Amino acid sequence: MAAVVTDPLTTRLRSLLGSGGVITAPSELAVYECDAFTIAKNRPSVVAFPTTAEQVAAIVKLCNELDVPFVPRGAGTSLAGGTLPVGGGVMIALTRMKKVHEVNLRDRYAIVEPGVVNLQLTNLLKPHGYHFAPDPSSQGASTVGGNAATNAGGPHTLKYGVTVDHVLGVEIVLPDGSIVRTGGPAGDPTGYDLTGVIVGAEGTFGVVTKIWVRLTPLPPAVRTMLGIFNSIDDATNTISAIIAAGIIPAALEMIDNTILQAVEAAFHFGFPLDAEAVLIMEVDGLEAGLDREAERVMEIARQHGVREVRQAKSEAERVLLWKCRKQAFGALGRLASSLCTQDGVVPRTKLPHMLHFMREVEKKYRLRIGNVFHAGDGNIHPVILFDERDADQVRRVLEASTEILDECIRCGGSVTGEHGIGVEKLDFMPKLFTPADLEQMLRLRGAFNPEGRCSPSKMFPTAGGCIEHTRPARGVAV
Amino acid sequence: MEQSETITIDGVGPMPVVRPATAAEVADVVRRCAADGTAVYPVGGGTMLDYGLPPARPGVAVELRALDRVIDFPARDMTITVEAGITVARLAEITRAEGLHLPIDVPDPDRATLGGAIACNVSGPRRYGYGTFRDYVLGITTINDRGELVSAGGRVVKNVAGYDLMKLHTGALGTLGVITQVTLRLRPVAEYEGRIEFTCYDTDSMVQALEVLHSSETKPAMIWAEIGRGDHIAKRWWTVRIRYETNKDAVEWQLEQIQKELTAAGVKYSGVEFARSPDAGVRPGQRSSDLKFVFGTGLRPSGLASISHWGWNNEAVLSIWGSGYVWGSYHITDPGRWNESIVTESQAKTILSELTDMAAEYDGNVIIKRCPPEWKKSLPVWGRPPADLALQKAVKRALDPNNIFNPGRFVTDAF
Repeated sequence: MAAVVTDPLTTRLRSLLGSGGVITAPSELAVYECDAFTIAKNRPSVVAFPTTAEQVAAIVKLCNELDVPFVPRGAGTSLAGGTLPVGGGVMIALTRMKKVHEVNLRDRYAIVEPGVVNLQLTNLLKPHGYHFAPDPSSQGASTVGGNAATNAGGPHTLKYGVTVDHVLGVEIVLPDGSIVRTGGPAGDPTGYDLTGVIVGAEGTFGVVTKIWVRLTPLPPAVRTMLGIFNSIDDATNTISAIIAAGIIPAALEMIDNTILQAVEAAFHFGFPLDAEAVLIMEVDGLEAGLDREAERVMEIARQHGVREVRQAKSEAERVLLWKCRKQAFGALGRLASSLCTQDGVVPRTKLPHMLHFMREVEKKYRLRIGNVFHAGDGNIHPVILFDERDADQVRRVLEASTEILDECIRCGGSVTGEHGIGVEKLDFMPKLFTPADLEQMLRLRGAFNPEGRCSPSKMFPTAGGCIEHTRPARGVAV
Repeated sequence: MEQSETITIDGVGPMPVVRPATAAEVADVVRRCAADGTAVYPVGGGTMLDYGLPPARPGVAVELRALDRVIDFPARDMTITVEAGITVARLAEITRAEGLHLPIDVPDPDRATLGGAIACNVSGPRRYGYGTFRDYVLGITTINDRGELVSAGGRVVKNVAGYDLMKLHTGALGTLGVITQVTLRLRPVAEYEGRIEFTCYDTDSMVQALEVLHSSETKPAMIWAEIGRGDHIAKRWWTVRIRYETNKDAVEWQLEQIQKELTAAGVKYSGVEFARSPDAGVRPGQRSSDLKFVFGTGLRPSGLASISHWGWNNEAVLSIWGSGYVWGSYHITDPGRWNESIVTESQAKTILSELTDMAAEYDGNVIIKRCPPEWKKSLPVWGRPPADLALQKAVKRALDPNNIFNPGRFVTDAF
């Protein structure tokens, strides 16, 4: 849809935010036409950079007055088009709201603005022995506000829980422009737990302007282990067996051969290139008893035919191992010009089946699929390699993705574990939920966002707003 | 079990009781009630019937205990899907057989149903180490105000598809629908448990012990301090219980370490007792059948010191969970033993007013958990209105516009 710059909108935004707080030039707007889900693009009419909740409220009121849609955006790392400005309008960029208002170590919370970068928060806390536990792979760029919007995960959420488990309260500018606080540092809300539904609502309930986050003590001791496997089956069976043995590792991540090749070329860790799969297995906690737990994990790997299993030799090696994992997507750029990452979830015992299924899909559609994922949660991230200039490949990629996600549903799982529905997975909502389920969710949305002006056309296939974008094409995302 | 035909909820009644056997039958009942605006009062084991304000109008009590089936228990995935009427004790029995558990302490587990516990967001002293229902409900099915079966979430441990209605129903007191089925995340039962229990004869020492625990190198699963009373030389004292749940090496190390830390900090404590696996547990047991005045508040942990002193000085029976939750109670009739205090309605009012101010300094709100129904006309049952009250009311209006679920009882009805 053509981004119509309405003069009154821009003029009044400038008077609210100053000329430095508003972007309207087409060349600059191009940056904001998509997030990390690059297949769907649409330019906002204008990007506004508020620095206070009051400014956000004023922008929202202006949008209401002029009947313009608006959408909040953090760092734009969404892999599902969560910040796509469907229907244009005002993009409220929160990257300049990055103050840390309070850090209270005694009561283990901090109050931060949404634009604070995840890793910067953790780095601020680390010297005091604490961290912000959600650690998505994008944590070097993604914001706490964006993490809250998508209820982001990460490797260590297996033990420590996803973002919502670490958000105690929020201040939110509602779509009518009012500022409301839900929850708070004490963590026991009086009445409905609105914080719990605002987190993960993908920005469809309003614009969060302040977040009370829980601080988690750093584990006193960590053991990181590396398992090299000759077969994918051995690796996935090891994963299932570790969970079934009642061990909750801090992280349990799998990298398959395709990804291994790229990661090794990029970081020279020393992975054997003929290995079919690598598992990163981490246990943490008290020093006492930790070696025994690590040994149990390694013993399970041995029982399932691991070629080699050992502990990281040093902190430096441990750090490099995690770098390989967290920057794996970046390394894949070496293998193909375009990547499509999926975010399916299956019960953990179904992982061996899913990996077999993906091999079949690979053959059927003549595509190459790499796998790097949060195995302990059953959260798979198949990465399909292709060339987006080839229309036939794009078609095959989309069909293959659909088959994989449909199989996740058939296995009793979900189509998104941590990236969100955004615009990318709208088509899957009716497969996961009945019309009555979806209607119930839309009724809830109506309590927050009755006019549908805030983040229109997200999460629900029928979520109103002036939809005028192409069929939600699933993800060419890095 | 005796099946009475009527029930009185918090002084309102008698109301007819229906006992549907399936979710479809629940839906049918709700549909019929919705058609003529009859109020629906979901009932589980009936252990918390006097929680909240009295019903606004008579209606139909829908008892869910017949919905007690296990739908799916993939133990190796550490999840379970059950109907909401299952008792907490039965659920524990089933999961423990597979070495798993839901680590939330629910009083009266033989009677309390899972759905009721979720609706009341019941928690116990192990919330320090394990959290609350908010952290365990992965999927939920409810009957909505139109008598439709609606679900959210799913059966896997990580899932962000759709709105998190699990959070919304947890603690909603059944005001947004009747919970008929839930999927829970389970935890492995710890390989080994160890508990240390000791006595502090003054509040300063107990508070000092809590501070030591806060910065301890040990990782307690439970911190629980209670004012004890008796007919001994000391009429009152604090009992502090700390529990560790992990493996044997770590538990033994922690039991040693915490004593070192307490001693190093100069905490005066005595009467140390230990208990070890297989079940070293002291869990909150039966809910007293005595009619009492009971209140609770969740606050920032740094507020526990002030509240502990307040409770001691005001002769409350106080129970403190280390995560920052405080329970207090008084008798309202003479229990005929020891030296327990009795309060009248007007004294209760004064107590609440003092305590509410104090809790507010630490972001807490004092809620009445139990009191005689007639007191509820003058006491602030839900404490102070939350900052997001208008939004809460909007949510209630959106999901139950005709106010058929538990009318009159919740926070949104109080202000």
